[in-house]
Amino acid sequence: MSFSTPAAFLWALLAVPLVIFYILKIRMRRIPVSTVMFWEQVFDEKQPRSIWQQLRHLLSLLLQLLFLMLLVSAVTDPFLENDIRQQRQFVVVVDTSASMQALSESGDTRLASAKSQIEQMIQSLKLRDEMALIVAGGRPRVVCGLTSHQRTLQNRLAEITPTDGPTGVIDAVEIGRRLLGSRKNGQVVVVTDGCFGAAAELAASDQIVWSNVGTSSSNVGITRYQVRRSLLDPIAYQILIEVGNFSDGAIECGLDLSLNGDLLDVIPLKLAAGEIWTDVIEKTSVAGGVISADVQWEDDLAADNTASSILPARRKIPVTLVTDGNWFLQRVLEANDVVDLTLVSEVPQHLPPDGVLVLHRNTPQQLPAGNVFVVQPIAATKLWEVAGAISQPLVDKQDTSSDLMRHIRLDNVLMPEALKLIPKVDYTTLVESISGDPLYLQIPHANGNVLVLPVNLDQGDLPLRTAFPIMLTNALAWFAGGNGELIEAMAAGDTRILSVPPHLQKAAEQHDGQLKLTAPDDSHQNIRVIDGHCMIGPLDQAGIWNLSEPVGDDQAAAVDSTAAHTPSLQIACNLTDLSESDLRVPETIEPRRQILNAGFGGRPIWFYLVIAAFLLTMIEWLLFQRRWIS
Amino acid sequence: MPLFDNDFLTRLEYLSIVSRKVFRGQLMAQRRTKQMGGGIEFADHRQYTPGDDFRYLDWNLYARHDELLLKRFQEEEDLHVYLLLDCSRSMSTGKPPKFDLARQVTAALAYIALADLDRVSVYAFADGVLNHFPLTRGKARILSLMQFLESLQADGDATNMTQLAGEFVIRAPRRGLALVLSDLYDPGGFRNGLDVLRHHKYETHVVQFHHSAEVEPKMLGDVELQDVETGDFRKITVTEKHLANYRQVFQTFLTSVTEYCSAYGLGCTITDTDVTFDKLVLGMMRAAGTK
Repeated sequence: MSFSTPAAFLWALLAVPLVIFYILKIRMRRIPVSTVMFWEQVFDEKQPRSIWQQLRHLLSLLLQLLFLMLLVSAVTDPFLENDIRQQRQFVVVVDTSASMQALSESGDTRLASAKSQIEQMIQSLKLRDEMALIVAGGRPRVVCGLTSHQRTLQNRLAEITPTDGPTGVIDAVEIGRRLLGSRKNGQVVVVTDGCFGAAAELAASDQIVWSNVGTSSSNVGITRYQVRRSLLDPIAYQILIEVGNFSDGAIECGLDLSLNGDLLDVIPLKLAAGEIWTDVIEKTSVAGGVISADVQWEDDLAADNTASSILPARRKIPVTLVTDGNWFLQRVLEANDVVDLTLVSEVPQHLPPDGVLVLHRNTPQQLPAGNVFVVQPIAATKLWEVAGAISQPLVDKQDTSSDLMRHIRLDNVLMPEALKLIPKVDYTTLVESISGDPLYLQIPHANGNVLVLPVNLDQGDLPLRTAFPIMLTNALAWFAGGNGELIEAMAAGDTRILSVPPHLQKAAEQHDGQLKLTAPDDSHQNIRVIDGHCMIGPLDQAGIWNLSEPVGDDQAAAVDSTAAHTPSLQIACNLTDLSESDLRVPETIEPRRQILNAGFGGRPIWFYLVIAAFLLTMIEWLLFQRRWIS
Repeated sequence: MPLFDNDFLTRLEYLSIVSRKVFRGQLMAQRRTKQMGGGIEFADHRQYTPGDDFRYLDWNLYARHDELLLKRFQEEEDLHVYLLLDCSRSMSTGKPPKFDLARQVTAALAYIALADLDRVSVYAFADGVLNHFPLTRGKARILSLMQFLESLQADGDATNMTQLAGEFVIRAPRRGLALVLSDLYDPGGFRNGLDVLRHHKYETHVVQFHHSAEVEPKMLGDVELQDVETGDFRKITVTEKHLANYRQVFQTFLTSVTEYCSAYGLGCTITDTDVTFDKLVLGMMRAAGTK
């Protein structure tokens, strides 16, 4: 046996004053009495115990010395060498994925059962054993490093909350293995419901201890959900929805669709056992908002019964077209329901706010401030020089990452002629010819941007292609700051790089490049904006997230009163995960819970010494009360 | 505070008056002694034995029954009252000390006796007779007697009733009423001494004094008891169980005193120090009157 703090044995010197005080104590009270003859009669009856009575004073001293020795020994924190050799390390991977929110027959969630199991594991840890906790909901995260302090582990365990994300058990197990390194007695313990793809293989591994929670249960859930604006109809939108029946029997239920809480449609569903139903539903609305889908079916997992997506509102864009006449261009703009078109013959000096000026075969030396779309320029301006014409230009490169080029392919478009431009300022090439000349470019401009399409529309088939109206729609949406475009709903646990709308970029610039991302439960975090983009995720809650200007609490009231703050960007997040919605536990998994058999002995020796001292105190008190000792 | 103050004397006089009114003929000189002698009041007969005075033969009975019987007459004489006061150190214990009450009772009884023209003597004793107030008569002697009592100290050695009785019967050959005022804490036992008095035909009355701490001791734990009479020490550890046993032993002692007196026709009064002397004396008179 060894001692952590052998210097604490010095406390044993307290025995010296203890003995001194004891010697002083045994000088008894002297009481004069009339006669002792009656007391002699009382005590002479118990004469055989006189030896014990003499010894009991010594016993009292011995009990006190033993009490002191027990406490001193406890302070020295003794431990066995065997404890060091048999020290074990456990890395407990806690599945906090969405399926762990499923209710069991007892009314508890699977995660609650898992935490209860882990609590038992913590209590069964022996003195030198160590344990770490890793949560595996979406992106795995170590919530508590290896420690033998049970209270810390219990506190961290209590802080674990469920997520709406997918399972990250496999990655978490890998992290756990790295955490254990080369430790001989290390084990990775997985506490999960087994509702993920590789569960059976992982459970069969000898290198981990598998602990199952929950039992198989039926569920119906939305596994895919997206809303987008129609590419052809500016006010139309499409809803992609997929609903799965993860039970062993057929079900009939309704699917409610609503926009901002107003019911749009109720779709009756009749799903066979295991059937996955998929459909694309078209609706029209200029207004935007949150489009929600609700499966009207009560099951053990509520998180996948609802899905949401953001439909951007369509706002009229004041477009001023300066042209000497191009039927295709004019009709494309007129056909766009979000365009408020004005035809003029002279270039206006000023543009309306958020307006777009479209110049066709009309290029003044000085472009007006604002957003300008120049189609088929004919002369040089302050932004570019004209270096002749390009005959039969072939498209070589397209910037597919740009929102301006979304859903556009120009490599098979016949363009007999284009103007060769040499920009005088920094620019971004969106479409480039084989010769390296820009065929579609973006140039930053005062209070806006300039898009230049130096292609002759009168020749070639570009106006006849679907790419042409899409190109104009993208351009108008881009000028409007993404207004009216698709904001794709994210799946819980996903990470995505978002293009930040210009108004939020400006807001971020005023706050050290940061924006506030608010979760559905009103918790928030700061997001850094870099080059007009920001990375969000992994999102661990299903619902509507808000990306907004980071306004402090003290400023919020003032901002609300002025109602002039920057509009936020809403991001929808849904569970939409087949594995998480399927609550049926694979039958091939056999639960193993060896760690729960760690048994008695999870306390240090000093703990038992203190208990013994406490019991000794009780015994001494009892003996004292009965006058067996003094 | 003086033992016999004006209040004491006032109450004493009151006690004397009450005793004469209520208990006339039942106390002291008013009572016939049980001595057989040459009085004029017939008492009973007994068998004639050779040597008896022929003058007391009942010839009428001899004539009728042909049996020699001797007439006996109750002798009338002055009653001798002996007050035997325990002055051992055990009498000094208690609050107030037993000795104070015992002296007050002694004075009261002596006053009543003197008032009835009886002869009174006081013997202070411990392991023997320490001091004595000789036989005296007349109410006027009460002050001298009180001075004698006030001069006594409870500093004698251990009570020895046998030694007391032996010395007493030698010093007081004239039989009479012997009142023993003591706690009776005689290591050798109180019976031998009382037996001697009884055998010498003294009409004995025992007054046992004790105080509440002797009946219900409060001590617990380790204590060293000191016997105030012998000076002996005894180290004991007192538990509740021991206290219960002690109470039982002490009660047995008091019962033994009562039973002894009852068995041999002795007067007996057992009292603690919480009562006043006049109540105690009245109680004694009532008890004597009911016999």
